[in-house]
Amino acid sequence: MIRVEGVTKKYPARLAVDRISFSVDPGEIVGFLGPNGAGKTTTMRMLAGYLPMTSGRISVAGYDVSIDPQEVRRRIGYLPESCPLYPEMRVDEYLYFRAELKGVKLSARKSRVSEVKEQCGLEEVGKRIIGQLSKGFRQRVGLADSLVHDPDLLILDEPTVGLDPNQIRQVRSLVKDLAKRHTILLSTHILPEVEAICERILILNAGQIVAADTVDNLRRELHMGMRVDMEIRAPAEALLEQLSTLPGLEVRRTEEMPEGWIHLELDTKGEDMRETLFELAVEKGWPLRELVEREHSLEDTFLKVTKNTEVTL
Amino acid sequence: MSTFFCLLKKELRSCFLSPVAFIIIFFFWVLLGLNFWWMLVQLADGELLQEATQQIFGGLISFSLLVIIPLLTMRLFAEERKLGTLESLLTTPLTPGSLVLAKFTGALLFYLLLWLPVVVYLGILHHLAPDGVVGFPDFGAMRAGFLGVVLVGALYLSVGLLMSSITSNQIVAAISGFSILAIMFFSTLFMAYTAPNPMVQTLGRYFSPFAHLLDFSRGIVDSRILMLYLSYTAWFLFATVKVIESKRT
Repeated sequence: MIRVEGVTKKYPARLAVDRISFSVDPGEIVGFLGPNGAGKTTTMRMLAGYLPMTSGRISVAGYDVSIDPQEVRRRIGYLPESCPLYPEMRVDEYLYFRAELKGVKLSARKSRVSEVKEQCGLEEVGKRIIGQLSKGFRQRVGLADSLVHDPDLLILDEPTVGLDPNQIRQVRSLVKDLAKRHTILLSTHILPEVEAICERILILNAGQIVAADTVDNLRRELHMGMRVDMEIRAPAEALLEQLSTLPGLEVRRTEEMPEGWIHLELDTKGEDMRETLFELAVEKGWPLRELVEREHSLEDTFLKVTKNTEVTL
Repeated sequence: MSTFFCLLKKELRSCFLSPVAFIIIFFFWVLLGLNFWWMLVQLADGELLQEATQQIFGGLISFSLLVIIPLLTMRLFAEERKLGTLESLLTTPLTPGSLVLAKFTGALLFYLLLWLPVVVYLGILHHLAPDGVVGFPDFGAMRAGFLGVVLVGALYLSVGLLMSSITSNQIVAAISGFSILAIMFFSTLFMAYTAPNPMVQTLGRYFSPFAHLLDFSRGIVDSRILMLYLSYTAWFLFATVKVIESKRT
């Protein structure tokens, strides 16, 4: 659906996007992740044909963005980052205007508008003035607009930014719902969001793609070992001394708890070390009340790849 | 073509949703009214018919256009930039050319509305004219005068549109538009009427909107002047399209 080949975008003062290449297949839901200023918005604007690229090639649905921008725009629904709307217009007015602009035929316009209003939960606010709507509703109007011409591809730039937790949940479930019928590329700097919505992730840092894989693989590949949480009652110094003798084990954090209990977070490399830890506790006669494997969060992956751009996958 | 009409409809609608439009209408109609009243006073004092009726389209009223038109056009692109809606517009299948043309046409239609009271005034003049007086008011001259204000207005609007397209600040758009129009207007005005050198005077007359409006109001339609305005307007619109195409952030 999208093919990006060696695309570079130079601004007068800086290199925003540096020779990135990726592709998105039809039906996929791909998350574009990266810290602020990594080049997400610039890339999406180039995809939507809004910004010209300095070099490289982008094709969407088989059309080259630089050669057939009109054809490309006909096939994408683009929600810009700030969700720009006309504050003086009414919701219905705006959606009809956008539908007409995007070439939705007069005969289909009414049904399309009411369909996207239903999808985005806007039935109640059709007659309201956009400027008086809450941020959450405005975001939904923006989403409805990007959907109104029934595009094959949705490009959503930070669709949940500035929403309250409840609205974020609603927008996420809406996006997940849309994924059944559309290919979606969405950008965010919020990790749980991609974990919750996306199948595949592209991590962008300083204008380059530093990681690209499925959510599960990214979690796994960057962490060969596992994380173990342990709660034990032992003299702190003796415990740390004993732990330091174990190979492949690293103490990440310790926390003193009441009544002599200690909470430890351990990183292990390679094999499961829970048994060894249990045996250590038995040998020393230290009571042990918790020993669990924790899943690595994507956050670790993210921090790792964006801090150190040399990481290769 | 269909996107053009869609955009034009939106332009006209949002034009009347902003209070600026009504403030402009109010002040311009007051000015037109005063202008008409002054003309009637002069007629009552025995001024020549041709001299007096020139004031409907030319004369003092032409100064006000320098202020009115930048206020009319300042919003058009600057607001779209500020709101970010330029991005959502330009990521739909429309072409920048149709967008510029729609905004220009919308502004031009609003500008025509500003001149609407003149129709009423002409009706009044016609009613006042004693029976048997031929050529009062001179509808031919009035039509030419109207053509003149449309041409001058179109040029001014295209300048204002260009100024609005380069900034996201409406005040900047209005002031720079006004500055350019004022320089254009006053430099040619002084050249045409106060320059000691007759060559400079002639040159000034070729380019002075003030002189042109008076000429048009006398019923003189000079095709060279017509082409001058049309080509300038086209050039400024073209420049606006280029700005919209290239200046995206």
